[in-house]
Amino acid sequence: MKGLILKDLLNLKSTFKMLGVMMLFFAVVFLPQGNGFIFGMIILMFAMMVVTTISYDDLAKWDAYALTMPVTRKEMVLSKYLVMAFLNTLGAVLSLIVGIVGSVIMRQSFDLEILAIIGSVYLVAFIFGSVIIPLIYKFGTEKARLMLFLCALLPTALILLVEQFNVPLPTTGNPWIYLFLLIAFSIVGVVLSYLISLKIYTKKEF
Amino acid sequence: MTNAIEIKNLNKYYQDFQLKDVSFKVPKGSIVGFIGENGAGKTTTIKAMLNLVNRDGGTIEMLGMDTLKDEKKIKESVGVVMDGCNFHDNLKTGDISKMLASIYKTWNTQLFQNYLKKFRLPENKIIKEFSRGMKMKLQIAVALSHEPELLILDEATSGLDPIVREEILDVFMEFIQDEEHSILISSHITSDLDKIADYIVFIHQGEILLDQEKETLLSKMGILKCGEEDFRKLEGDEYIRYRKNQFSYEVLVKDKTAIRKKYLEAVVDGVTIEEMMLFYVRGEK
Repeated sequence: MKGLILKDLLNLKSTFKMLGVMMLFFAVVFLPQGNGFIFGMIILMFAMMVVTTISYDDLAKWDAYALTMPVTRKEMVLSKYLVMAFLNTLGAVLSLIVGIVGSVIMRQSFDLEILAIIGSVYLVAFIFGSVIIPLIYKFGTEKARLMLFLCALLPTALILLVEQFNVPLPTTGNPWIYLFLLIAFSIVGVVLSYLISLKIYTKKEF
Repeated sequence: MTNAIEIKNLNKYYQDFQLKDVSFKVPKGSIVGFIGENGAGKTTTIKAMLNLVNRDGGTIEMLGMDTLKDEKKIKESVGVVMDGCNFHDNLKTGDISKMLASIYKTWNTQLFQNYLKKFRLPENKIIKEFSRGMKMKLQIAVALSHEPELLILDEATSGLDPIVREEILDVFMEFIQDEEHSILISSHITSDLDKIADYIVFIHQGEILLDQEKETLLSKMGILKCGEEDFRKLEGDEYIRYRKNQFSYEVLVKDKTAIRKKYLEAVVDGVTIEEMMLFYVRGEK
């Protein structure tokens, strides 16, 4: 299984370099404006890369070949989730570094708000991965991308609708509750998603 | 354990195709040529052996173990080459070695390096820049470098020039020299099998038509060329298939020495695997 994860990281080597350049560019452009969206952007860029690894695998017809090696289907699926976790974490750590370095350069104190943004986008990245990986296993990368786009539209439309009609949202004075809800939601999402993916992948014929 | 592979009554149903009771063996220390036209069921059989597709019945044993129960253990000692290159475009040979060292317990980095040198594969180029022949040689080097006991090759020599093919065939011959190793090789380049196979298994429309030692097969079978009159004289069990030309008949006969003895003036030639295949698929009974 270590080999499978290594394979994905080796494949992403060139992508990492490109992302590094992009990160630097965004940091220079957006940080001086005090724009927080760069932190989320970095994490999501890394989160998207798990999809890239799967399309690389498809291109090489890797999965059928890998399964002729002493690798079980369970390990194939689990390795993808571990790669996702690694990439998300890498993204979060990097945006944290950008945040800290940025605030040092800008001579500001490190804002707690940044930490909140990074933390919540980090969790959202897991939810994103949990939705798209089973979709890819079931429908293939191309279709799954389109579906994910639709999936993203739905909640956005819902939020807009809620705003339009001024539906009162349940408010609580304690923001920690939201955090815990998000954490619980992500964990349940990842576990459920893994089980679904495993079920799809076990039945798959190559 | 005398068989490296033993398949019994393998069945697999698709909507428009099925494997019907496929059974054959690959004896230890031998090369078995698995032949048949495109779509005859070679790749499906191989995929079923490797559990890449589910089967609808039958048992498959490899290296004396059941492929459903001891899958991981078996795959540790089997090298597989499929039609095409399955490594990602941006990797280099060093990356592949690193990765496979943590997949196979028995990965031998030194052996891999030796094969790379032997096949003259560059270490500083990415796979994308490899030619088709180089990609195939890389796959074969990989399949051999975890010191497997059994090689399964699906169209591993197709699309290669004669020189590279011969180079690869030599490697295969070397591989089985120790009498413990075995190879199942599917191919429609039958001249390769003329050279190296010990047994021929012939699959047609999902059924095994023929499973025989190559030498007996080639020394016994023959092609009789004759007119219609002579053809009528033949008895039903003397020939396997016949093909009618404009002026004459070509008949695949079971035993060319017997025919020569019986019909003294008859012209009976030897047969190649390719000719035999053509008779079976395109000839009439």
